[in-house]
Order: sequence, then structure tokens, then C-alpha cells
Amino acid sequence: MKEIITLGLKLLLISLIAALALGYANDATKDKIFEQREMANKEARIAVMPDADGFEGIDLDQNGITDDIILEGYTAIKSGSQIGYVFKVAPKGYGGAVEVIVGISNDGKLTGVRIGNMNETPGLGAKSKEVEFYGQYEGMSTDNEIGVSKSASSDTEIKAISGATITSKAVTKGVNHAIDAFKGLSK
Amino acid sequence: MSKTKLQIFTNGLYKENATFYQLLGMCPTLAVTTSAINGLGMGLATTAVLVLANMAISLLRNFIPNKIRIPSFIVVIATFVTIIGMVMEGYLPALYSALGLFIPLIVVNCIILGRAEAFAYSNNVIDSFLDGLGMGLGFALSLTILGSVREILGAGSIFGFSLFGASFKPVLMMILPPGAFLALGILMAINNNYKSRKA
Amino acid sequence: MESKLIVSSSPHIRSNQTVKSIMRDVVIALVPATLYSVYIFRVNALITILLAIITAVATEAVIQKIRKKPITISDWSAVITGLLLAFNLPASVPWWIPVIGAIFAIAIVKHAFGGLGQNFMNPALAARAFLVASWPVEMTSWITPGVDAVSAATPLTLWGDKMQPSIMDAFLGNVSGCIGETSALLLIIGGIYLLYRGVIKITIPAMYIGTFAVLTFAFSGFDFVFTFYSLVSGGLMLGAIYMATDYVSSPVNTKGQLIFAFGCGLITFVIRTYGGMAEGVSFSILLMNVATPIIERYTTPKIFGGAK
Repeated sequence: MKEIITLGLKLLLISLIAALALGYANDATKDKIFEQREMANKEARIAVMPDADGFEGIDLDQNGITDDIILEGYTAIKSGSQIGYVFKVAPKGYGGAVEVIVGISNDGKLTGVRIGNMNETPGLGAKSKEVEFYGQYEGMSTDNEIGVSKSASSDTEIKAISGATITSKAVTKGVNHAIDAFKGLSK
Repeated sequence: MSKTKLQIFTNGLYKENATFYQLLGMCPTLAVTTSAINGLGMGLATTAVLVLANMAISLLRNFIPNKIRIPSFIVVIATFVTIIGMVMEGYLPALYSALGLFIPLIVVNCIILGRAEAFAYSNNVIDSFLDGLGMGLGFALSLTILGSVREILGAGSIFGFSLFGASFKPVLMMILPPGAFLALGILMAINNNYKSRKA
Repeated sequence: MESKLIVSSSPHIRSNQTVKSIMRDVVIALVPATLYSVYIFRVNALITILLAIITAVATEAVIQKIRKKPITISDWSAVITGLLLAFNLPASVPWWIPVIGAIFAIAIVKHAFGGLGQNFMNPALAARAFLVASWPVEMTSWITPGVDAVSAATPLTLWGDKMQPSIMDAFLGNVSGCIGETSALLLIIGGIYLLYRGVIKITIPAMYIGTFAVLTFAFSGFDFVFTFYSLVSGGLMLGAIYMATDYVSSPVNTKGQLIFAFGCGLITFVIRTYGGMAEGVSFSILLMNVATPIIERYTTPKIFGGAK
């Protein structure tokens, strides 16, 4: 009996010291970690809306956006006035959700699309992270739904990545959902 | 037959190399070595944990009772891994996001628990430090080699530097899981062949 | 070796079959399909086939020389591996694809695991899987039959887009696809030859094709046309007759072979219907190859069996 108590107390002591060390380390690093996460987010937003100098978060529920693949929404501000929106969408691709960040200006043009975290196949779906793919969306109009095809024969279509139709379609779906949200907000 | 300090250190580098001889820590080895820098990063992170954990456990070896040594080791190792993970997220974000969920998995990397049990629990702090350093660097070395092979064949680059130009069609499979097994298997075969010739 | 006398215990069964004669029969069986593929895919196919065969034979010779083993390339097994590998490739692949594939098939899948008689997977198919995973774009670009080598889709992918060629074309082989898989008719003729020569037994092909046919028929709403179409498209005939019947990587006794072939048919069906790829044959055979040891474990007859 006594042995068990001793063992228990010793383990408790070790765990206690460990917990203290962890608590201290957490405190010491949490600001820097927060900073890093914020910076990563901000970088993506500026990449899709280079003219903006600030972003304000939108409460999605309050504005009637109940689409569950839209994760975040922001208004893009330049010199105090709102110039457009940025959405973070997460459509389901080949290997799970693909983070797509979409920038739409007030006059209904796509200012940029970037791909965030994703688990697509390297060499195929992962090529969506290359500018040859995501650059296609830039400048497209939001009047019509954007389509995907092998050859992108019209202005409202983008060219799919060879061998990665599922990923290409997923990203496009994310962009289209963002466009719908934009239309809903700007009514 | 006690070893000299130098022998303790070099033991982990080649003779009892964690990857090619002990075959420990296979999960991060195969998963993370999609490029040379990832392999190196994971190897160094593991080395940091291994050294700290070995030293801590060696210091506490007379305090930790034999019957609860495994839970004690785990608490110590998990603490160090978490702290190092937090430091990486704050100060090395690129490496942190490249290694992803394999950082918390360092806790169950058998090398660390293995060395704690086989060495640190019964040796003094200096020796444990050397052993941890040797094993960790040996692990980092093998991960970097594996990562380089996979990156050269699978992406045509090394440490991010493109080697072959645009017309090289990389062997995509090398940066996918099957390629990891193939590459590791072939490297081990080469090493075993070399070893058996020396004998 | 041939000059030594070999002592062994009974039974002494004599047969005309040698490794060489069996392999030669397989090559003969594949000749019609080979000629036809060169006819419809022209020079591209010829080059690919030759590169695959030559590389396979050369690799085997080199490896056996390095390992100081007797060189057995005259048993034609490397030739078959090369030929079957080429059959699984689109005609327009760059030259290095059959070369790398053949090296992989012979050096790694065959010899690294023990050489002839020891491969646990079909070498040509395993090499194909390696190529598909490594160079997906090159491995999925097909050309139309005939003089104009325009890039085209195979019947299976076209079926998805409802633009399929006629059934007769698909059966005879006048469609796009990998080199050896297009002409179901010629492959079946080769298969009949092999049955006649005793090289293969009807068990595996019949069970494989049968299972697949029944499942496709049932799940397509009893669409007879679609079922027939599915049978003659893609690598099903090639796989069922020539690849699944590889002695080494499939079970030894009939019961095991039935289970093996059923598994192949089932998995091919599932991949084709529910999977993202149009072609399921190669992966299904490889999966069943890997399952063969456990199938054999459960179907080996007991040595001193009781009365039945």
C-alpha cells in the first residue's frame, strides 16, 4: 500500500513540474505564435487583394451567409473605404478540404485566388498552388458561374490541371461559392 | 566493456544508426522525408528532444522508481516535445507547417523512448548527453540522405535548388509513400551489401 | 548444370513442357495481338514494344552477370515480361517509359525478390503501377488508331461522356487504348491457343471475367450492351487471360484460384464503377497477387486427409 502511494506521489511530482514548465513555455511563446498565424492569414488576403491596406472580418451568420464551406469573410479596405471582399472557402478536393482564398472587388471582378492548406497529390492536384493554375481566375467576371474544361474555350472557363480534374473542379467550386456569397452581400 | 566518450557519440552516427540498424522511428522517417530540408528539420527537432530528454531522465534516474519509469519517461518526453513544438510554431513557422502533425508524433518516436530506457536510465548525464546527441544526429543524417534521394528523383531538386531543368520529368512516386518504402529499402540494401563485404 | 546427373526421389514425372516451351507458347499466343497493335498504332507501338523487350532482356542479363548467376535470358521469360509491359502502355509514350518500366520490372520486382518463380507480384503489372504513379500524365495520353496520331480518350473514359465507339470496333480493337489491350478478339484467340497447349487453365480467366460480367450486368440495370462493352474495353481480356494466370503470383490449387479470380473480378468492378479511374484491372490483379499467400494458406489440402 505504502509503495503505491510513494509511486503515485513521485509521478504526481514529475507531472507537476512538467505542467509548470509547459505553462511557462506556453506563456512565453503564445504572443509570437498568434503573430505568426495572423501574419500568414494576412499575407494570403493581401495576395488576393493587393490594393487593400486593411481587412475587417465579417460575421457570416449575421449577414445571412450559411454556406458551410465558406470559412471566413472580410471586407477589404483602402484609404478608409471598402473596395471589395475576401473569402476563405474550403471545398472538398481529392485528398480532403482545399483552402481557397478569393478576392472580389466591388465592381464584380475576381482580384485574385490563392490556395492555402491542402492535401492534394504532389505533381497533380498540388499544382493548383502554382501561378499557372490560380492565375487563371484573376480578372474574371463574377457575372456568370465559372466552369472547368480541358481547353478553356470561353471567358467563363478555366483550364483544368492535366490529370487533376477533381482538384481543379473543387477549387472552381470554392470560387463559385465565394462569388455567390459576394452577390448575397452586395445586394 | 565500457565505451569511451567518443565511442558513445559515434555509436549513434553509424554503428547503431537508428534508421539503418535499429530500424526505429520508421513512421516519421518514411512520412517526412519528401525533401532534404524536411528530413533535416525533423532530424534536428528529434535530436533536440532526444538530448534534452536523455539528460533530464539521466538526472532523475535515481528519483524515478523502476515500476513507473515508462509513464515518467513519457511525461518528460511529451513535455519537451510540446515546448519545442511551441518554439517552432513561434519562430520557425515554415518548418513547423512543413512537418505538420509529425512534430507531436516525436513523442512516440521509438528512438527517444528506446534511448531513455536503454541508456539514460542507467548512465550519467554527460554520457547520456553524448548518446542522445549521437543517436539524434545519426537519425538526422539518415533522414537527410533519404530526403535528398527522394527529392532528387521525385522533384528534381535538392534543398530547393532545381537540378535538372524543365525537361526533367521527375519520378513522382518517389515523393509519395510507396517511393519512401522503395528508397529506404534500396538504401538499406546498399548499406547491408557494403557491410557484408567489409566483414 | 545440364552436363551433371541429377539424383532425386520418385515420382519421376516426365513432361514435354520446359520453362522455355511454355514461355514460347505465350509469345506465340500474343503474336496476333502484337501484329494488330503495330498495324493500328504504327511505329510508336513498334518502338515501345521493342524497347521494352530489349531492355527487359538486357537488364536480366546484366543483373545475373553482376550476381554471378547463370544467365537465363534464353528462357524467354524476360521477353514475355517486356512484351506484356509494352501491352499495358499507351502507344505514344516517350522512349524512357518502357525502358524504366522494364528495368523496374526485371531488376526490382523479379530479381530483387528471388528471380524466376519467386516474384510475388506480376512484374509487368507492378512496373505499370509504378509508371502510372510516377508519370500519370504520360501514362494517360492515348492516340487514335491509324495514321493520324491525334490524342484521344479510351472507350472507358468516353463511356463516361456518352461518346463511345461501336461495339464491333471495341471488340475487334479499332479503338484507342494501351498497345495490347484493344483487340479483345485477338486476345481471346491467343487465350484459346494457350488453353489448347495446356499452358493456362480455364479456371482463372473464366471466374474473373464471369464475376466481373455478372456484377456489371446486375448493377447496370441489366444492361446487356453495357456489360458486353465493359468486357471488351480496357485491359480486362489482357489481364484475365495473360496477367492473372501468371503461375508464380497466383494460387496453386483450383479452389485458391477460384477465390483469387473472384477477388480480381470483384475489385475490378468496384474500381471501375465507384473509383475515380476508368481502369481497374491492373490494380485488382496486383491486390490479389499480394493476397495469394493467405489464400494458399487457407486452401492447401491437408497432406494426410481424412476420407471424404
